[in-house]
Amino acid sequence: MPAGGYFGRVLVVDVTSGTGLSRPLPDSVLRGYIGGSGLGTWLLYQLGTPGADPLGPRAPLAFVFSPLVGTPLTTSAKFAVVAKSPLTGMLTDALASSQFAIAGKLTGHDSIVIHGRAPELSVLLVDGDGIRLIRAAHLAGLTAADTDRRLRGELGRGWRVAAIGPAGERGIRYATISHDGRHAGRGGLGAVMGAKNLKAVAVRAGTKVATADPAAVLAAARDLRERSFGPATAKYRELGTLANLLAFNAISALPTRNFQAATFDGATELAGPPAADATGDVPEDVAGLRRVARSSCASCTIGCEHIYRSRGGKQARVEYENVFALGPMCGVSDPDAVLEASARCDELGIDTISAGGTIAWAMECAERGLIDAPWLRFGDSAGLLRALDEIGGLSTPLGSLLAEGSRRASRTVGADSASFASHVKGLEMPGYEPRTLHAMALGLAVNARGADHNRSGAYEADLSGDLDRLDGGDAHVAAAIETEDRAAVMDSLILCKFLRGVFSDPFTEWAGLLSAVTGWEVSGGELHETARRIVMAKRVYNIREGWQPADDWLPERLLIEPLTLPSGRVAALTADRLRAMIDSYYKLRGLDPEGRPDLATVDDLGLA
Amino acid sequence: MGTPKAALEWHGSTLLDRTVRILARATNGPVVVVRAAGQDLPQLPEWVVVADDPLEGKGPVQGIAAGLAALTGRADIAFISSTDLPFLHPVFIQSVARVLKDDEGTDVALPVARGYKQPLAAAYRVSLAGAAERLVKEDRLRPAFLFDECRVATLDDAELTRDPLLAAVDPDLDSVLNVNTPADYAAARARPAPEVTVQLFGTLARGGNAGGRHAVRAATVGGAADAFTLVFDRHVTAVLNGDQITRDPATPLAAGDTVYFLSADAGG
Repeated sequence: MPAGGYFGRVLVVDVTSGTGLSRPLPDSVLRGYIGGSGLGTWLLYQLGTPGADPLGPRAPLAFVFSPLVGTPLTTSAKFAVVAKSPLTGMLTDALASSQFAIAGKLTGHDSIVIHGRAPELSVLLVDGDGIRLIRAAHLAGLTAADTDRRLRGELGRGWRVAAIGPAGERGIRYATISHDGRHAGRGGLGAVMGAKNLKAVAVRAGTKVATADPAAVLAAARDLRERSFGPATAKYRELGTLANLLAFNAISALPTRNFQAATFDGATELAGPPAADATGDVPEDVAGLRRVARSSCASCTIGCEHIYRSRGGKQARVEYENVFALGPMCGVSDPDAVLEASARCDELGIDTISAGGTIAWAMECAERGLIDAPWLRFGDSAGLLRALDEIGGLSTPLGSLLAEGSRRASRTVGADSASFASHVKGLEMPGYEPRTLHAMALGLAVNARGADHNRSGAYEADLSGDLDRLDGGDAHVAAAIETEDRAAVMDSLILCKFLRGVFSDPFTEWAGLLSAVTGWEVSGGELHETARRIVMAKRVYNIREGWQPADDWLPERLLIEPLTLPSGRVAALTADRLRAMIDSYYKLRGLDPEGRPDLATVDDLGLA
Repeated sequence: MGTPKAALEWHGSTLLDRTVRILARATNGPVVVVRAAGQDLPQLPEWVVVADDPLEGKGPVQGIAAGLAALTGRADIAFISSTDLPFLHPVFIQSVARVLKDDEGTDVALPVARGYKQPLAAAYRVSLAGAAERLVKEDRLRPAFLFDECRVATLDDAELTRDPLLAAVDPDLDSVLNVNTPADYAAARARPAPEVTVQLFGTLARGGNAGGRHAVRAATVGGAADAFTLVFDRHVTAVLNGDQITRDPATPLAAGDTVYFLSADAGG
């Protein structure tokens, strides 16, 4: 086992029987997959039954920690939740930050993997003394936040809780897992947990973890902390990700009304207050929203969380993605309504991106007469909130339909509704317009998780000025691969992506951090290879679970409906262009023309 | 004028540097500079292709022939410009070149602007390279000989300004104003830098830089950043007219341009 950073063990829990087994993790696996998203992929491949129903008892749900958790390195208190997604039928790996990461790891395990189905609604407790299941009938129907508060009150000091809301209990396919107000949001992990009859997982630290070179780790932590206060993170500190809204609107990259446009007239109304001035004072009462607080994840010096309060008194953490999905995507420009919708998603425990994307699709269906819901129209705030309520409660046929996500719902509605269902592999699209961001278009199409902006940061290349974002070609492919590789390492170490701008030589610098923590002599080149291994392992997992070449594609609308920019230039992402980029991606990744690796490559992954 | 025209300064750039960057902005394609054998050129961006003119003193058709030859296989349409057009506007280039894009039967789009034919501010089919080369060999060195052999669309002031965008940003067709004498150069330098609109986003919009759009005079993106004491480093990108993104401070600006300055990190 390495000198630091790991316990070298995974706790495998069967909640059907209420038993747990601590199993060793080979050094080669830890070094080859690091932790977080990478290790989670390896575990899912090993412990999952091929072809299993993601909402069935045999499907594993993995909470995966990483070697940097528990160190003083900023933004390292993160963990990954990895499972087969009930939305996509493929791998999903959501990352989140909180004290849960530290307490979970200090139970003495690099991962906690859960399978089975508890006989009744339960809470899984894990600490240094082992595991136990307790009844949770009194928590049924509670929000994740209320569950967290109640449980911590009942369990006492030191316990940290990851819980699901009502949506997870009801099996809504884009339900989330929440903890300390943060969410493992994408892909329906809350539904997987709910299917195991688990309302929550509570963890308590019972041991300590060593680092190989404490002095070097401390020095690196101080250095990284200083850098985290610099210009690379100013956007996150001062405004949060909401700063993207007006910027994306200005460059025609803001998906609007279910991708019918890339600019939104109501963007300014939604954008919230301008930056704090030089004194740090935060302006008040702009556009009906009031920023009332700013906070940080555990062990983070950036502090990207910006909490707003609506005129009605509701408070919610505002991020670009939830404002995009519940605002422009649905044509809603009323900031109070968007804040209310965000808060309602949090209360239900559902992913705002999938909720907004699915409702936007339904709005278009309703406007085209494919769904009988005259109250559901683009721009109608009341319709948006009613749709969320019907989804959360599964209280109407329409609510039940939309709880399945846009891909499944479009199969039910039929006609041509699949052509404007905005998803990849069943995962609804994030707020990045592929027609005006061609590297990102490729990243979204080939991503193992589906339409996801966190496993492929290819928009960085589009917005770098180094290539023409409207003329996708080989340079965009290379850039998409590079950003995908970087994400694979950051998501496995784990470090927050909002820190990425502080690294000038990222793979080498990350190798230095990993070396100091573990005692391994890791090079930047080795980490690059690790990144490729992780990306490939996700693809191999998906292939095992039924991935087909047609899954690496984008919604038809994006390929046949060009956009015209204010400059007069036409942004067209044609099927031919996307095909060429995907072919080039496969070639550079060493895949065959259909996107599959050869047997030798699969053997080298160490999955068998 | 005592200094080669290519090296004359205009609002912080040489005329040649500004011309090649304006061409690059307008065409998004390769840019070729044709120089006389042994001619010293001012510093140019690394992406510029320099072609040597094999024969000296043969006039514009020789330059046209060399330029078109260098572009053969790289582009179908070329906008050919002299180096002494400080007010050349990207919209002018695009508007003239569009004539050839829209009509495959036309070989040359020739502005007749401000009372003169402008063969060195015109669009040509690259396939004319052979004809131009032959004319040089035949010592028929005036552009008119080339025009005699192909299909030319002449564009007078009225036709040019029928393009509403061009009429808005270059109503007097200053794009074709060249610098032939010290007086011309002095007059050009006396003109202020182009008026452009700048908007800063996110954390860049602080204090006096907040409040939406600002009209400033700046000949380059770097100049526009300077107007706001903005450090245009790797953490900042500029977007021209909501379209092209650049982090190169030397990117030229022209009248009517809009520049957005954004955080380079779009993570969210």
